[in-house]
Amino acid sequence: MEWYFWVAITSLGICFAGYIYHFLKLINLGSPKDYSKKSGSTKSGIIYSFTHAMNPVNKESAFLNLPTYISGVIYHLGTFLAIILFFVLFFTTNINELISLLLAAFLLLSTLCGAGMLIKRITDKKLRHLSNPDDYISNILVTLFHLGSGTVLFIPDVYPVYMVIASLLLLYIPLGKLKHVIYFFAARYHIGYFYGWRSVWPTAKSK
Amino acid sequence: MMVKINEDIIKAGLEVLNSHKDSKLITHLNSCVHCGLCAKTCLYYLTSNDKRFIPARKVELVSAIYRRYFTFIGKTMPGLTNARKLDDDIIAEMIDLLYGACVMCGRCVKHCSIGVDIEYVVRKGREMLAKMGYVPESLQSTVKAALETGNNMAISYEDFTDTIEWMEEELQDDCDDPDARIPLNEHGKNVLYTLNPREPKFFPLSISAMAKIFYAAKESWTLSTYMYDVTNYAYFSSHPAEAKTIAQRIYDETDKLKAKRLVLAECGHGVRANRWEAPNYIEKEFPFDVITSVEIIAEYIKEGRIKPNKEIITEKTTLHDPCNLVRNAGVIDDQRYILKNCVKDFVEMVPYGTDNFCCGGGGGQLTMSEYNDRRLSIAEIKAEQIRKTGASIVVSPCHNCIDQLSQINVTYKLNVKIKTLAEIVADTLLVENMLNNNK
Repeated sequence: MEWYFWVAITSLGICFAGYIYHFLKLINLGSPKDYSKKSGSTKSGIIYSFTHAMNPVNKESAFLNLPTYISGVIYHLGTFLAIILFFVLFFTTNINELISLLLAAFLLLSTLCGAGMLIKRITDKKLRHLSNPDDYISNILVTLFHLGSGTVLFIPDVYPVYMVIASLLLLYIPLGKLKHVIYFFAARYHIGYFYGWRSVWPTAKSK
Repeated sequence: MMVKINEDIIKAGLEVLNSHKDSKLITHLNSCVHCGLCAKTCLYYLTSNDKRFIPARKVELVSAIYRRYFTFIGKTMPGLTNARKLDDDIIAEMIDLLYGACVMCGRCVKHCSIGVDIEYVVRKGREMLAKMGYVPESLQSTVKAALETGNNMAISYEDFTDTIEWMEEELQDDCDDPDARIPLNEHGKNVLYTLNPREPKFFPLSISAMAKIFYAAKESWTLSTYMYDVTNYAYFSSHPAEAKTIAQRIYDETDKLKAKRLVLAECGHGVRANRWEAPNYIEKEFPFDVITSVEIIAEYIKEGRIKPNKEIITEKTTLHDPCNLVRNAGVIDDQRYILKNCVKDFVEMVPYGTDNFCCGGGGGQLTMSEYNDRRLSIAEIKAEQIRKTGASIVVSPCHNCIDQLSQINVTYKLNVKIKTLAEIVADTLLVENMLNNNK
């Protein structure tokens, strides 16, 4: 096995351990204990939090910022795709040409979205004010990962570079803002629990 | 004059970030991705375009400290995530942004792309400041008045009972019944009703309005002269021990009078503080029901115990939703049901319900006079919302909102009438109907 495989496997192990650490920390601390008399359903609130509440129609952050929102969705889909591809490429590089072409096209699009968001973060005063080095590093690593995933499908020579990028990303995930991979789900759980308990969610329209 | 920070103060502040009852705090401190999409949900940002007021920026103040002291990367490479030391600079920023530029309305929470409970993080930041002794003096003096006198306006026992006697006479005149009463300190009643101290102090007619509704519904009720204050400003200062003391008093009074239901007056934060937070402050489930006056009035109408006449109020009427009653307490439909039964021409603001904008008086802003200019400037959005409805009456089931709306009315020359829900309902109850009902 080539050296970059070992680097990638080791990074994956470290990333996984980091995940487990954050996950266990959350599980260990558990759900809130609320002494107030519940008026709604936490289960319905949590389901709503992951479904209707995520609908762009119900979210000002989405419908008032549609280009950014759509870029973000494509970017995240590209990330999921690149992760799946990363595991597939461990076992085979022999992927049907048409599928490769489609995958590469989507990954190129998500790379452009990532680059667009990076440019926005650099040029938009409001976003720059909110940003720290971690925001830029995270964006650059993920965007390079998308680009590498798309490129390696057609240029196998870049495989070692691709694996190094993937390894750097894996090592970085548990440290910086990319750990929102876990905390996103926890946040939506908590917000669903909170609004569900008080009968704010699900809203009347969705009941 | 701000107290210079020292090790003990730092320790007290950090303790807030290091004590976890559950996973909520670490979740919300680790979740913000700095996308900035929350900006347009916030009154402060929308009316000023000032980047400091973006809700994510307020979260960042607290989470930057958390990262500096409680995460590996923040301890070893603070520059990477902009992890910050708890020092005088960040404290000054926190006071200005967390107390002075947040109405704690939670509008940003609902629309956050991740689901960060921004308002909760702001409250934790305020708790840090409270534990370090940095609550703005104006807000702290309101809390102090409640702690020392039993009500946030320091109304004396004599003044309160005089006002109630006067309101009882009003009630008797209004109902044309010399036996109509405002019962005080009576045991074993169905309802213990609370008041916002603004009522006895400035708006006593809202007391007689609610008394008229109880009279019409033939409710078994009482007021307490010892603990009637529905507010808990320590919820806004976010000092848990002080909030607990205030919450405990109302619990004890309800328990002492053996009331079956504690009915909370029209006060958004009072509802939130007593219905939802108080049991957690005192870590005890309440053995009695805690409901809002809005819910009980809706109940009376549904059960036919009161019969409002919707032909009396014909002017176009709109509703302002108090954030702490609606978005943060789930009382969303009852006030609409009541108004649709009491006024002929009801119109909603846009947006409304859980998407409604705060009036600008939330988060304790009305008590913090140092931020008055900001408070009235963010109210521009509410003024515009009201103007667009074309309504001549604005109803809000919250005395805090009523106060802010009254100031908006003058500042933005809206020329509308501002009313509580109880006042609207009382105006639609006809004396002859009530007399028949009470025979």
